[in-house]
Formats: sequence, structure tokens, C-alpha cells
Amino acid sequence: MNNIEEILWNYIDGNCTADEQKAISDLIAGDEAYRIKYNELLNLNKAFAGMELDEPPMAFTYNVMETIRTEYAQKPLKAAINKRIIRGISIFFVLTIVCLSVFTLANISLPAGSVPISVPSGLKMPDIGRYITKPVIEGFLFFDLVLSLYLFDTYLRRKNLSKQV
Amino acid sequence: MQSKLSDIDLINQTLAGDQSAYTDLVKRHQRFVFTLAMRFAKGREDAEEIAQDCFIKAYRSLASFQGQSKFSTWLYSIVYTTAMTFLRKKRVDTDSIDDENTYVQIENQTSVHDVNNAENKSRSFYLNQAIEQLLHDDAAIITMFYKGEQSLEEIAKAMGMEANTVKVKLFRARQRLKEKLERNLKHEAKELI
Repeated sequence: MNNIEEILWNYIDGNCTADEQKAISDLIAGDEAYRIKYNELLNLNKAFAGMELDEPPMAFTYNVMETIRTEYAQKPLKAAINKRIIRGISIFFVLTIVCLSVFTLANISLPAGSVPISVPSGLKMPDIGRYITKPVIEGFLFFDLVLSLYLFDTYLRRKNLSKQV
Repeated sequence: MQSKLSDIDLINQTLAGDQSAYTDLVKRHQRFVFTLAMRFAKGREDAEEIAQDCFIKAYRSLASFQGQSKFSTWLYSIVYTTAMTFLRKKRVDTDSIDDENTYVQIENQTSVHDVNNAENKSRSFYLNQAIEQLLHDDAAIITMFYKGEQSLEEIAKAMGMEANTVKVKLFRARQRLKEKLERNLKHEAKELI
């Protein structure tokens, strides 16, 4: 032990053996200098113990949980994109291309006699033009727009995730 | 009535997929973690960043928490390493305010406020002001010892030091804190403490 303060702090913290504790108690009771110092340190100890904790911002918990949720929500999304969504998108595009091809072929009018192919007289080509109306085209464009926004959002999320990692 | 769940119970619930249990854990420890972060960051925004980062790191490695120590001790060790990394990254000057020039600044600041204001401010304000002037390690040890309910051994574990080193540091930190209080408060020190 180096000095009175160190001895007394050990006593206050309860870091002494029973014998040491008894000896220090006697010193405090019998020695004025020890008693004054002890009371001073006891007051300090009380003041330190009474220090107040800082209050984090109101949204602290929310921010932590939101970061965690975002981080962990991205993983299943990634898995879904790899399988179902990508497959669905490709099916949609294949169907679109097929429909457009059929429509284009059905509307081609070649000058008679220039092509040595004769269409059988019994064959009836479906009148697709009837179905391609203005609302259908608008709906199709709207769907494309939503799809492209969705894919763009996915791309940004991925980019954000890779940045965090 | 449902009794208050222990940290371990909340951890187990979180690991079982219940995120609201982790919300409770964050709420339970956020004030202390934030205060500890303030001891290193010296600014609320930076402290918030450190504290938030700690809870996210803790969540990621929650499965590796083996329960051999208190959750708070484990969490404070994350705070300590995160804060150290943050300081390194920010290249903050970690020198103590013991540096003479800085001390003159502080002394001048306090003399501007001076005696009349002293009566209006709480003991806690002056205590926090004095703690801010300590070295990061000293401030963290004082805070963990008095407000974190951590023993010397637990503080040593959280800070990666020997228990004896922490004991010596705590003794010196208390001496320095007392000096700072006396310097900052001058005559009011005895009344306030």
C-alpha cells in the first residue's frame, strides 16, 4: 500500500481482507487524518456513483432494429430473386416475344404472286389485332414500368448490401 | 404478471427468431452503452454511431455469446473495441486534456461561467464535464465501475487488460477526476461534492 488514499479506496471498494478491514476501521476511528480523508473519499465515491447516464436519441432503438431488419430482410429477397422471380420474368418476356411475333406475322401483307408459297385455303389465322387495343397496350406499358422500378430497387438494395459488407 | 426476463432469456428468444426480444435488450442497455460511447467520442452524433454499431455487431455475433460472462461485460467489450476502431479511423487526438495548452482553454472556459452559474448547475453537470476531460480509458473505467455494475475483473475482461492494471488505473482515474473537479469548481468543489 502506498498512501492513505490508496488504503482508504481499497477499504471503500471492499477490496481488503477481513484483517485489513479491521485495521483500517481502527485507524479511521483513532486517527484524525484518516477520518477526514475517509469522509472526503466517501463523499467523492457517493458523487461518482450518482453520476447520470446520457440519454440516447428517442429513435435510437428504432434505428438499431431498422438497420438489423433491413440487413436481414435482404437475404431472403436475394434467394427469391434467384429462383422464382427471375424465372417468372423470363417466362413473361418469352410469352411477350412470342405474342408479338405471331401478331407481326399475322399482319404481314405480301404482294400476291411474289412469294411462291400458298397458304392453304382452309387455314384461318387468328385475328390478334382485335385484342391489341389501347387499354391493353397501356396496361402492358404500365406493367413494364412497375417491373423496371422493382428491378431497379432490387439492384440498389444489392449494391447497398455489398457496400455494407 | 410476467416477471422481468433476464438478459440470457432475451438472448435465447432472439436466437430463436424473436426480434422483439432483442429490442428489449437494446432498450435495457442503450443508456449505458451510449454513455460509454460518449466517453470516447466527445460528441453525441459520433457516440450514437458507435453505440448503434455496437448493438448491430452484438446482434450479428449473438450466437457466439457463450454466457461465461455477463452479457453486459461482453457488450462493453464490443463497445470498447468499436470505440477504439472508431477513434483510429477518425484519427482523433487521444491525448489527455492534461496537456497544458488544453488545460488553459478549459480553465478559461470555466472562469467565464464562474461562480454565479455554478449554483445553477447540478453536481452531475460538473461531474460529466470533469469526466470529459479525462483520458478515454480513465473515463471508461470510472463509468463502467460506477454505472455499469462491473467488477474490476469484468472491466479488465471488457478492456482486454489485467485486473491489477485496471485497479491501478481506477485509483489514478479517481485522483485525476477529483483534481479536475477541484480545478473546474474551485471553491464550490467542497459544497458540491
